[in-house]
This record gives sequence, C-alpha cells and structure tokens, in this order.
Amino acid sequence: MQHDDVVWSIINKSFCSYKVNTKSQKFCRNEYNLTGLCNRASCPLANSQYATVKEENGIIYLYLKTAERSAFPSKTWEKVKLSRNFEKAIHQINENLLYWPGFIKSKCKQRFIKITQSLIRMRKLQLRRQKLLVPLQNKIERRERRREEKALIAARIEKGVEKTLLDRLKKRSYIHNISQQAFDDALTEKEVESDEEEVEMETEIETEREQETAGPSYVAYSDDDSDVDSDSGIPQEVDLDSSFESDVSDIEDIVSEKDVASTSKTRKRLSKPRVEIEYEMEMGTPRQRIAESR
Amino acid sequence: MVVFSLTVSSPNNVPISFLTSVTVTVSGQCDPFITSTSEPVGKMSLSTVRPLVSVYNEKSEEVKGTTIALPAVFKAPIRPDVVNFVHQQVSMNHRQPYSVSDKAGHQTSAESWGTGRAVARIPRVRGGGTHRSGQGAFGNMCRGGRMFAPTKPWRRWHRRVNINQRRYALASAVAASGVPALVLSKGHVIEQVPELPLVVSDKIQELSKTKQAVQFLRRIKAWADIQKVYKSQRFRAGKGKMRNRRRIQRRGPLVVYHKDQGNKRDKNYYNQIFLRIFPVKGLRHAFRNIPGIDLMSVEKLNLLKLAPGGHVGRFIIWTESAFQRLDKLFGSWKSPSLEKKGYNLPQPKMANTDLSRLLKADEIKAVLRAPQKKVVRRVRRLNPLTNTRAMLKLNPYAAVLKRQAILSAQKRQLARDELLAKKRGVTISSENAVIRTAKL
Repeated sequence: MQHDDVVWSIINKSFCSYKVNTKSQKFCRNEYNLTGLCNRASCPLANSQYATVKEENGIIYLYLKTAERSAFPSKTWEKVKLSRNFEKAIHQINENLLYWPGFIKSKCKQRFIKITQSLIRMRKLQLRRQKLLVPLQNKIERRERRREEKALIAARIEKGVEKTLLDRLKKRSYIHNISQQAFDDALTEKEVESDEEEVEMETEIETEREQETAGPSYVAYSDDDSDVDSDSGIPQEVDLDSSFESDVSDIEDIVSEKDVASTSKTRKRLSKPRVEIEYEMEMGTPRQRIAESR
Repeated sequence: MVVFSLTVSSPNNVPISFLTSVTVTVSGQCDPFITSTSEPVGKMSLSTVRPLVSVYNEKSEEVKGTTIALPAVFKAPIRPDVVNFVHQQVSMNHRQPYSVSDKAGHQTSAESWGTGRAVARIPRVRGGGTHRSGQGAFGNMCRGGRMFAPTKPWRRWHRRVNINQRRYALASAVAASGVPALVLSKGHVIEQVPELPLVVSDKIQELSKTKQAVQFLRRIKAWADIQKVYKSQRFRAGKGKMRNRRRIQRRGPLVVYHKDQGNKRDKNYYNQIFLRIFPVKGLRHAFRNIPGIDLMSVEKLNLLKLAPGGHVGRFIIWTESAFQRLDKLFGSWKSPSLEKKGYNLPQPKMANTDLSRLLKADEIKAVLRAPQKKVVRRVRRLNPLTNTRAMLKLNPYAAVLKRQAILSAQKRQLARDELLAKKRGVTISSENAVIRTAKL
C-alpha cells in the first residue's frame, strides 16, 4: 500500500487509459472493476487488495488480487470457480473474502447476483424466438430505391406490352378459317382504304382491358336529343395503325348490318377471340343506333 | 522456497516501532495461489526492504538461482509534476528555429498619401500601370503586408533544466516503470508479463535477426503490446501529413540494454572493411524494425523515452547487465552514486505514504487528543425583556419582583371591587383568590 495512494493520486489527476469521462460520471473500462465507475475504492489499479466476480462462458468466477502478487502481472489474479448453487456460491464468496473490507464483499455479492440474473434471462431468451434486429443503412436504402425507380423506367413496360400484343396480333390468327396470307393481304388493303377510322390504339387496348375485367355491360339506348350532341361514348379520333384499320375492316365483313361509311362513329375493335355481337335492328335514325360488340 | 533480503534500519531516526508492518515481496518461486486469508498486507517501508527480481532468459523461462536485488531507484518518489515539467522543458531542446523572411512585406517603396485624398492613411504603393499601385502596404492588416510581430530566429528555443531536476525526473520515471498499476494505466498490455520490472538475460543483446527478436517478445508475452501498436497505426490529423509526419502510432515497450553486441565504429581501417563485408548485427538491428519498440542504452537514459508525453509508466524490458548498472548509476539513499558525482537519490516527503493506515496506527493515535464528536450549534439569543426565562437566567430576583407586582395588582383590584360592591350592595364571593390568600 505504499504505492496505492501514490498510484491513485497519479491515476486520478493525470492520465489513466481505462478512464472514460462523461458529463456527469467517470467510468472505468478495466475488465476487473467491480462497479464500473472510476473511484478510489473501485479502482483495481489503485487497490492492491481487490476482488471481482466475472462471468466466462456461463461460469462465474471470483477473482482475487493481493499485494504479495502485485509484482507479477501474469499471476496477480487468482481465479476461484463459484458453485452453480446460489447459496453455496454466496458462502464461497464469504469464506474467500473473510476479513476483507466490507465494500468489496458487498459489491462482489451484488455483482454475483446481477450476473446470475442476467444469465437466467439469457437462457430464457434462447428458448424463445428472438427477433433478429438487422440494421439498415440509410444510404444504401436510398440508393436502391432510386435504382429501382430507374430500372422501372428503363424497362419500358408499356412499350413491351404494346410490342407483344402487336406481335401476337400479327402472328396468331384471332380470326379463324382464314389463311395467314389472306389475313396479311387484308391488313395491307385496309391500310389504304380506311382513312376515317382513326382510333388511338392504346385507348382501345385499355378500354378493352377494362371491358374484359368488367364483364359485359350494356350501354343504355337513349332517345334524348341532348345525347346526340354530346361526346359521350365516342372514342377519340386518332391515327390508326395500318394493321388496326385492316382489322376493323375484317369485323365489318362479318358484321354486315353495321353502317360503316355513314357515321363517323367507330366500332370498338376486338382483338380477342371471344366475340359477342349485339345486333340492333335498323329502326330509328342511324345516329340513334348504337352498335356494341364485345 | 522463499528467498529474500531484509535489512530493517530506521531512516532519519524514526523509531523502529513506527514502521508498523514490514512486508516482503516474495520472488517468483512462490506458489502464486496463496489465498490471503490473513489481514491485508501492509505497506513497505520505503528505503530499506529490497525485494528480489528474478531474471528471465531469452526463452522467457525463469533462470533459477539468479536474482537481483531491486535497485534503489525503483523506490524513488514518483513525482509526476517534476516529470511533466522536465519533460516539457527538455522536449523543447530538439526544436529547429523557424521564422518568416525578414524582408517579407517590406519590399515595396510605399508611402502614405497623407490626408485630403479621401482614403485611409495607410502607406500605399507608388507608381501606376499595375494592380499593385495604390494598394496598401507594410501593415499587418494589408494584403501583401508583413505580419504582426514577424517571427525571429533568435527566439529562445531551448531550455536549460537544473541537473538535479533532470535526475529527479529520471529516477521518478524509472521508479514508475516498476509499478504495474502505472504501466497498465498508461495503456500498455502487460497482463501476461511474468514479472515487473522485467529483467532478461544478456543473451538478447546478441540477437541479430528481427525474427529472433519477435520470437523473444512473443515468449515473454510482450507481443500483445506490440499488437496494440499495430492497431493504433493511423494517419495524423492535420497539416503534419504534408510535413513528413504522416503516420502516427502508439509507443510500445522500451528495451534498455547495456552493451549492444553489434557493429561498432572501429577506428581500424581493416576492421571496418571486414565489418562491411561481414557485418555483425546486434540488438539494435534486431529490434529496430518492430513498430513501437524503442531502444536505449542504460548509460544514456532519456526522459523523453522513459516518460513519453510527460506521463510516467512506460513498459521497460531491462537486460541483466543494464539492471545491475542502475544501482551504480543512481546509488541508494545510504550511499551516493558512483557515476554521478555527489548525487544521491531524492528524499521523499513521506516515507510511508499509506495515509489511511497511518491515521489508524496506535503510535499516532496515542499522541492525539480525543475526537470531539459533539456538535456545538449556535444558540438563539432570546430577549430578556420579553422572554421570562431569559430574564431569570440573568437576574433571578426578577421572579420575586414579578410575583410581587402581580400580587399587589390583584390586591388593588380587590379593593376596587369591594368599593364597587359596597356601593352596589353586592357581596363579593368568598372564592376570590385574594380573599382566600388573606385568610391563610
């Protein structure tokens, strides 16, 4: 103990590599410290007679240090294994620390209790399912999100869908009993003829898609004059694709009752094999007749 | 088997009984697992008891039989303030002067325009045709002017320190290196080192290969400290990076030797040639490439290496011959040093620094008076004119006076009442206090 006070005065005032200073407290990072705080009584360096309770792989040991061994750093700490039985372990602590200062005795026991409690808790947790907390890095998340957006744009899904649909239209014959050659000829013919049939293909496709999902729905026949001038039900007039126009002509071949040339109305084109055609007898004015075909 | 040397003599005429308990540190042969069930062992009396330090060979096995008594330097008072001061002063001595050019800022023939031109009166550059003309010059506030107080090379760069102070600091630093707590607190990893102070046989002075040196350090369990040095290697923060001080790292162990068995500068021409062709590499060469390691000859102890940063407690590995030199270099309190003329180790202010034990010691307690446990508090002053008890403390007769005054007042009152009663024709009750007392 000739050195203890000297050591403490040096450690406290000057530098100690284990000391961590916070705004309110001084902590000691030394693994043998009993309380974890930097105090005269808790410093393992400044007390030549010291004891701690530490846990290693689930086994709790009592470490003792005395002044006789202070010159041999590898031998300073004597390790005493504590019994698994709580009561026996407390007795062991008591008998090993007989005649030791009360502070060390009580702190050792407190630490022992805390360690056993945390071990029990650890064992319980192992039996349960545990949530694995995975830290996310903001930077990476942001980056990936942006890249996903860009990939979506780059993929150009609509264009792909458009392309496949057109390809399908070209390759597969949606109208049976016609040879492929005749189909192609008809396509090229219709291109020349129809100039009034202007439909935006995309809207057609979209509306057809909607119609598919919605199921057959019927548009009411209305006698109102106001309806005559309204734009409802009239698809927008847009430039047609060549094949598209020829398709319309195809339909016209079948649906002979439709008055194609007189009205500026256009028929809803079909590209699906399933055809539901409703005929309306030509009773009223051509304008009042609404043709529907699915 | 325990071996120790013990001479108990009292320093400075202090009665032997004063040395309350003398402890001896047993040398390495003792059973390390003696559980101390006895009273906590006391302190060592400062100057007399000298434990024995065992020597380890280069394979870090203990060399049986060789033990060296601890040199007295290790018992020198550890004064971190002295060490810090001396370190601070001595570290100034390695500096190289720096200064600004003395012509800087004055290489113009500027003159002030004076008043009347609606400009500040700072000297301005003459002439025209360039940006520079008309600009301010010479002042520390001007762009392109000289700085305030240009630095001069004749600044006092070096400091001299009293030789006794220097030696005091050295002794303190060496002493602190023998205290494991201080070495640990400095941050060295010495948990597995067999003994402190660590003395190794002279064989390491003949090591020539770094590989051997590394092997030695590993065996002696000092390698952990060097691993810490490796982990601490990093770039310096700041402009030092571009001033040839790019990398920094921790300080590792210090190896103090007596004789380096390597190449020495030989005056003999032919020997020189021979040594060029067949060089003998010694301790220095073996250890110098290991990061963190410093080497020092015991003849030239350097405070800047013994207490880097001004903080005591460096991890030192001594060679046997170096360790034995220490006694001759520093002497002990009883005998002066042989090498340093007229030098004796510094006297401590307290021979026994264990204050808590001292205060509990019987010899001291016998001389002190008993402790005063009673707490004396301030007494409130009471006014005697209003407080009867306070008055009575001062003048006991006041009780009599007061009583008489009260009784006479009652009597008078009775006389008045009788008169009134007579007038009214009413009788006073016989229970009146005054009448009753009169009857007694």
